[in-house]
Amino acid sequence: MTARISSQRYAVEDYQEALDLCYQRGWTDGLPVVPPTESAVRAMLDAVGLEPDAQVAFITNRQVAISAEKVAINAVMAGCRPEYMPVVVAAIEGIADPRWGYHGPATSTGSAAVLTIVNGPIARRLDVNAGDNLFGPGWRANATIGRAIRLVMRNVVGTLPGRLDRGTFGHPGRYTYVIAENEAESPWTPLHVERVGCRPTDSAVTVMAALSPIQFYNQLSATAAGVLGTACDAMRYPGQVGQPNYCVVLAGEHMRTIAADGWSKADIRKFIFENTTNTIAHFKRTARIPGEVKPGDETATRSLVISPDDILVVAAGGRAGSFSCYIPGWGGRTSSEAVTVVIKERSA
Amino acid sequence: MAGFEILDPTVEPRRQPLTYVPRPDSLKGKRIGLVENTKFNSDRLLLKIGEILKKEYGAAETKMWRKHNAGVPAHKEILDEAACSVDVVVAGIGD
Repeated sequence: MTARISSQRYAVEDYQEALDLCYQRGWTDGLPVVPPTESAVRAMLDAVGLEPDAQVAFITNRQVAISAEKVAINAVMAGCRPEYMPVVVAAIEGIADPRWGYHGPATSTGSAAVLTIVNGPIARRLDVNAGDNLFGPGWRANATIGRAIRLVMRNVVGTLPGRLDRGTFGHPGRYTYVIAENEAESPWTPLHVERVGCRPTDSAVTVMAALSPIQFYNQLSATAAGVLGTACDAMRYPGQVGQPNYCVVLAGEHMRTIAADGWSKADIRKFIFENTTNTIAHFKRTARIPGEVKPGDETATRSLVISPDDILVVAAGGRAGSFSCYIPGWGGRTSSEAVTVVIKERSA
Repeated sequence: MAGFEILDPTVEPRRQPLTYVPRPDSLKGKRIGLVENTKFNSDRLLLKIGEILKKEYGAAETKMWRKHNAGVPAHKEILDEAACSVDVVVAGIGD
């Protein structure tokens, strides 16, 4: 690939000067970055077979075109290996999808992060962690793919804290928030197969505007309904009302208990949907929705999400420990929708 | 010393000219469009503003539309209807 890389170039003497320049220009997330040299950027582009000026996505409300070149530069800075690039590109396509609604989750005081779930063979090939310490540090793919997404948001789309990112609390997942599904041990249909009809041999990435993971504990139940009953009790008192999606991440022990009862992901979604409703009276008393409590409000109910399909069920997390977690989506019911994008890989 | 070059990771937003429609000298007799953004009480706030514009500035009437959600621009139906049924529009966003 020889097409010209058109980004402005800055001459530096050494790594320290490159780093100082990146900090000075406001190009980092606060952590040191890898200097984006032309050779490193070209390796990123080669990994996806894209010309530098190829448009990966367009963010309508910002009128910003995200070129392959800019994705590659930010991926280098984030510390990605070139083979991670197809995942980064697919995730950027996902957050630019009108269903994801970039402006809301990127800008809102509600502080969403981009929960990024990788499915398919690429997750195993790139060693995207799906097991112990799922959301924790230690895996290069998890750490740098999510970081690249955030650097693109910051440097290309202008999602800068205090300016076009008005998050009240921000979110630790804004450094990175990438997991894989534990397809090797999961008894269930993988997320991408369920959501967009992929084959299990396809790879895909699902992006969801998401709040923090909230862990729940059940060491006592030997049944699916028992384990998920605990989940529902925790989930039905949300901090806000009307999220478009929830993600439920079931770790090893709970996964095995639920699967032993023969429950599918559809069964899990249905159970959670049916057992997380609340009365309108409750929401009014706790100031989640406006108005005085009226007589009918004690029996009128509201579901957690509009449909059971709005609950993403993912098998991931450590094999040991009677814990699983759920992750509330960001925003109102129509504000942002989780999007699954098939990862395009270059044929070898 | 062998230096090297690094590449700029940022872009300049696409510049586009914005042309403002001339503002009316007076709101007297004008039809006022109100675009509600779905946030709590935004409808009440805009109706109140509409009342003030009628009472104190002589506006003729108000008409309200509701966006799909706060994070998106007003959709096409709102723009098309507003273009042929009102003279000025009041919109805003807030929490």
